[in-house]
Amino acid sequence: MTTQDTTQNAPEAVTEGTATEVTATEGTMAAPGTDPAAGQQKARFGPVGWLRWFWRQLTSMRTALVLLFLLALASIPGSVLPQQGIDPAAVSQYYSEHPALAPILAKLSGFDVFGAPWFAAVYILLFTSLAGCVLPRAFRLARSARQPPPKAPRHLGRLPQATSFPSELAPARVLESAAGMLGKRRFRLRTGDGWVSAEKGYSHEIGNLLFHVALLGLLVSVALGGLFGYKGNRLLVEGDTFANTPTALDVFHPGRLVSATDLAPFSLTLRRFDATYITSGSQRGEPASFNAELSYAKQYGGPTHGYDLRVNHPLNVDGVQVFLIGHGYAPVFKVTDGSGRVVFNQPVPFIPIEQSGLTSEGVIKAPDASPEQLGFSGVFLPTEYVTPVGQLASAFPAAEQPRVSLVSYAGNLGENGGESQSVYNLDTAQMRMLDVAPRPLAPGQSITLPHGLGTLTFTGYRQWASLAITYDPGQVPALISALAALAGLVMSFLMRRRRIFVRATSDGGDRALVEVAGLTRSDAAGGFEAEFAELTQAFHEALEAGGAGARVKSKGE
Amino acid sequence: MTRLPNFARTPKASTVAMAALFGAAMLAVTSCSGGPIAANNPLSSGNSFVSGSYSSQYIPPGSRSAAPAITATTLTGQRFSLAAERGSVVVLNFWGSWCAPCRGEAPRLAALATYFRHDPVSFVGDDVHDYATAALAFEHTFNVSYPSLNDPGSQVALAFHSTLPPTAIPSTLVIDRGGKIAARVIGEIQYNGLRALIAKVLADRS
Repeated sequence: MTTQDTTQNAPEAVTEGTATEVTATEGTMAAPGTDPAAGQQKARFGPVGWLRWFWRQLTSMRTALVLLFLLALASIPGSVLPQQGIDPAAVSQYYSEHPALAPILAKLSGFDVFGAPWFAAVYILLFTSLAGCVLPRAFRLARSARQPPPKAPRHLGRLPQATSFPSELAPARVLESAAGMLGKRRFRLRTGDGWVSAEKGYSHEIGNLLFHVALLGLLVSVALGGLFGYKGNRLLVEGDTFANTPTALDVFHPGRLVSATDLAPFSLTLRRFDATYITSGSQRGEPASFNAELSYAKQYGGPTHGYDLRVNHPLNVDGVQVFLIGHGYAPVFKVTDGSGRVVFNQPVPFIPIEQSGLTSEGVIKAPDASPEQLGFSGVFLPTEYVTPVGQLASAFPAAEQPRVSLVSYAGNLGENGGESQSVYNLDTAQMRMLDVAPRPLAPGQSITLPHGLGTLTFTGYRQWASLAITYDPGQVPALISALAALAGLVMSFLMRRRRIFVRATSDGGDRALVEVAGLTRSDAAGGFEAEFAELTQAFHEALEAGGAGARVKSKGE
Repeated sequence: MTRLPNFARTPKASTVAMAALFGAAMLAVTSCSGGPIAANNPLSSGNSFVSGSYSSQYIPPGSRSAAPAITATTLTGQRFSLAAERGSVVVLNFWGSWCAPCRGEAPRLAALATYFRHDPVSFVGDDVHDYATAALAFEHTFNVSYPSLNDPGSQVALAFHSTLPPTAIPSTLVIDRGGKIAARVIGEIQYNGLRALIAKVLADRS
């Protein structure tokens, strides 16, 4: 029977450290490390022992810190190397600039760092390490917060805070009075034969517990955001609409478990964009306000609502937040090709290259022009002026004197091969620059291209706003967790757990010898000495008042 | 019993280390999510659309979901209703004139439309994120014989939201004769691949 038990328990025994030894089963409450039997168990370091050792190492605080550091280190390549998910054009450029190095980097997931297996390994290890470290601590704290006060020690005089005095009352009355007083001060009580033990300040443990649970909550929240959240960007010209689907977003970063059907099915129209700027003083040209007038429908064919989107005033559609993150101009161009067909007539977003005058750059591609494809690149100047050295510049961000200045190209745009390219870049490798006298165009003015290739007219401009669409289901839980962790930390630092012990023994007659002692955490905030003195004083007085009826008040000792 | 009563051992050092860890974790978290307020434009160097790598997916007749009822206007101003195409296999191609892979696949799509001209197969385009003038010029260039829906706001893609939605431009859906989604191709179509898919859906009993 016993042997059977032992063999059955053998694998567990190593993990528990104490279970097999008959003597040890008595003392299962003792910490494994202090048990001599456990020391013998450790000597046989089987596979389970190794696992246990590995788990110990993994969940140690030091490992967690090292992993956190590793995570920071591992994300460095993500900001140094171009990333496929963010900027594929830069990745292809990297390939052409470093033909030998790029394939090696690609094998090592250098262009997709945040999706790399080694990055996931660090993250998952960190997560496991933190969970493995925090969870047992949380359980331990929860247990200690529920524990009753310990028995009063025998020799109270040995405690750091101790005093004793005689009382006229019988020991039982003294203890009753002590329990009453400590209970009134919201101490947790435990009584025994001739003693009262009281403890207060459990909020230290509760704070500690809160901190640990909140830390786990924070981890889970971040994971939630990473798995189920998504981010997208969309540049939207006044009058245009987009739907929150992957195909309509310019940039889309879905979480690991997000598919196209998970996106909130809203559509959004930019009705009008207004920007005002400071017109005088040293801050001339600085933005004063932005307002994007939106209308949106929560689902396909649903009713539309209006919203004024401003900076730091996001729109919330069913938990998805839409932020205003940028703005600019989209000059409108009409291109007529050599055969007289209008092949292009639309606003083209130009991207600001400086903020004080909103000088913006952009390209126009007319791939369906014949006989040759046409391309233009140039700048939009909201308020044109010519610098003393004869350069074109913009003096103010509002469109007070809008002009465009373009360079014209004809040839092959390189699109028909099917190779993806950015709409903001003109690949002129297979194009030739056309000999057109450079002249800034005012709205309504045209460029006539040589050799009957066509004309381009700058017909006007619209404004655009760029929007960030973010869904992070972990955001609110993360905030709550962070606040709770902070509150728990403050609580555990400010509150201290303290114990008061009272013993009353008969002096042989009907008088009692009262011993009072106090104990607190040495590393907690100070003030316990004063509290103990005050408490003892009050107790002493209460006992004397209680005894005054019985005997003549005697002061002394 | 000479040992002094002791508090549960929670050494101060580990609490401090915990607090440090917490602080570092907070830094890591906030630095990840602090983006949206930044004023710089993320698009200046970006590809202006979500490009997807090629994938082709065929759904067996038993597990197909119904295509949404779409009514829209074509680039040339005609009304189009997907429901009216019931009885034919519909090849719905999502494209834009600005999208280079769409230009790459356009001649193949036009050729496939010709290949299936005697079969009950309707080709329909959905021109997204685009402007009509440029789109019509595209159709002229590639001699596209079938109609395309004028869908600058991606509303048709949105209507497919809860079914098997297009996830990149270009994407192509094949809808069976019963109005159910039978196949999806993400990315530039391949002539033989799509031809086989259409033929398979044509042969399905549904």
